[in-house]
Amino acid sequence: MNIKINHINKMEGHAGFMASVLKGDVKSAKLEVKEGIRLIEGILVGRHYKDVPVVAQRICGICPVVHNLTSIKAIENAMGVSVSNETKEVRRLLEWAQIIHSHALHLYFLSLADFLNIENDLKLIEKYPKETKEAIKIREFGMEIVKIFGGRVVHPLTNEVGGFKKVPTQEEIQALIKKGEETMSSVDAVANLFLGLKIPDFERDTEYVCLDKKGIYSLYDGDVISNKGLKIPVSKFEESFSELQRQQEVIKRVSSDGKTSYMVGAIARVNNNHMKLHHKAEEYIEKLGYKFPDYNPFHNVSYQMVEIIHAVIESLKILRSLGHMNLENAVTKEYEVKEGFGSAAVEAPRGTLYYHVDIDAKGYVKNVNIITPTAQVLSHLEDDIAAYLPGVIDLPEEERTRKLRGFIRAYDPCISCAVH
Amino acid sequence: MEKQKEKKGKKDEKKPKIAIVSLTSCEGCQFALLDLGERFLELVSQTEMIDFRLLEDEEDSGEELDIGIVEGNPATKENIKTLKDLRKRSKLLVVLGNCAAMGGIPEIKNYQEGANTIKHVYKYVQGIENLEVKEVDNFVKVDFTFPGCPITAEEFVKYFPLLLKGEIPEIPDQPVCKECRAKGNRCLLLDKKPCFGPMIQGGCDAVCPSSRMMCQGCRGLRKTGNVKAMRAALKNMMTDEEFENTSEIYGLRDDIEDRENL
Repeated sequence: MNIKINHINKMEGHAGFMASVLKGDVKSAKLEVKEGIRLIEGILVGRHYKDVPVVAQRICGICPVVHNLTSIKAIENAMGVSVSNETKEVRRLLEWAQIIHSHALHLYFLSLADFLNIENDLKLIEKYPKETKEAIKIREFGMEIVKIFGGRVVHPLTNEVGGFKKVPTQEEIQALIKKGEETMSSVDAVANLFLGLKIPDFERDTEYVCLDKKGIYSLYDGDVISNKGLKIPVSKFEESFSELQRQQEVIKRVSSDGKTSYMVGAIARVNNNHMKLHHKAEEYIEKLGYKFPDYNPFHNVSYQMVEIIHAVIESLKILRSLGHMNLENAVTKEYEVKEGFGSAAVEAPRGTLYYHVDIDAKGYVKNVNIITPTAQVLSHLEDDIAAYLPGVIDLPEEERTRKLRGFIRAYDPCISCAVH
Repeated sequence: MEKQKEKKGKKDEKKPKIAIVSLTSCEGCQFALLDLGERFLELVSQTEMIDFRLLEDEEDSGEELDIGIVEGNPATKENIKTLKDLRKRSKLLVVLGNCAAMGGIPEIKNYQEGANTIKHVYKYVQGIENLEVKEVDNFVKVDFTFPGCPITAEEFVKYFPLLLKGEIPEIPDQPVCKECRAKGNRCLLLDKKPCFGPMIQGGCDAVCPSSRMMCQGCRGLRKTGNVKAMRAALKNMMTDEEFENTSEIYGLRDDIEDRENL
């Protein structure tokens, strides 16, 4: 029998799903990508390096902060530009803010309805008016940070090679601290709602990949590690991870040391680094009753909630420390344009995001490569569904479709990012 | 399908029916709307939302619309069909953002050497749709455009109620500079730094120059924008090649060439 879902809504980008099952055996399970190509890597060739963060961040309307930042870091590495500690702190803050608003959007407005069997968010909003308001407040804290430090939420403006074009005033920072403190109660309210959810049982042993830095739960930098023993510097990323394009496919899949199936994102980070989370986030995991290693992909959504708890606390910590710093030091300093090759990675909301750029002596781009989280997990997602499918195959079609959509959405795929 | 119709039919019949549809893009314009939070939900509550795939799973029933809203670039044949279908069923067709209105960043491809762009990205190019990037109005009649990359959400809040009444708003013909000055920004041009502000349609609250980022023209040329004067003013700040390259980012270059050839 063939199983087909024409369009999976409530997800960034366009995709459907198709599977074929013969006598209970899943023969194939495939995400059908329906996204046009934009050729971001191709259109960057020959352009000035200053255009790269501007164009690259337009890969994604949810997570422009990380595309912007990763491309900037790769260019800085290519040209040997170093930045101040203040610049790094502001960039870390922007990343936490990106995590907060992307996760809050996904876990509440895109995924939650699946666990409550609601098909339309307008109904979810009617049924849970208080929680909806709190979820919006959480998002707004993240968005406000990006707006104040980045100049705008969708496609921020201030971050550039060497530092920031403009920095906020201390009054603006104090207002953000106040907003962050108020956000804590909203975080509790939404976190409580997620404690009561009935989440399907499903497990499949897997490899979890993310960045790791000694002593901290790092998004900004570190080595690439996995729970299966991988540990490499980001500069060696493409030696271990390679892109492979199948004919007619617009998303290039990624294999890690020959294996195409590994997982990135909130569930990978929390599995690998939960001991470095703020104790409030750790306590929440205990309340969820989850044990490590945790191989249930549905838990990705709950782990996004865990990361929101950590991210709000971490953002407040950085904001308070910025209150004692001279932010003028984060403003772009002069640097020399140099020929070179540079790579960089950060933890995007959906997982490890990697860029490399190759720049000529005049500052023009010779080559760019972008490896996104969703491209990395595409094969893993399909393998997971192939394993999940037999358990739901006998359900009535409508219910089965709902379950499959919910499964795919729990991954928080971003098809726009994956195709770019 | 019948069941859905019935379900939807229970809602207030008098509310205007709308749909928000996306073609190929980053979807940032839709997020700019969602990011309005409760204010967006308030706007939506004045309508009957027939299709908005970021918020609902229900299949679009394909019924007639008062307003069809489209974001993104028609980059595939399926996108083109979606766009034409939307036009057919909509009294008003409203465009969201730079990709739909001006081609957006994917249009950079049009200014490069044809087939080579795709070869930088894919090893196997056969069977991959790689159409020339064309603005939405090459395919269908457009009634109103919210410009920008992304759109200015406040502009949506301001003009959308007019559209709901069936009226076509008019964005005043003023440069980005007007709002930039009103915000007390130091003029980038006076600092000898390039900026397209004077020739570009305002209404964005001068968001870029307020962050010391030059205006690169994502909202398009204003009606009375003077390209010749702009080129002259920028003569000592950027080369012709840099001017051309920058105007490619948001699909402005072809519009500038059209204006200059008038």
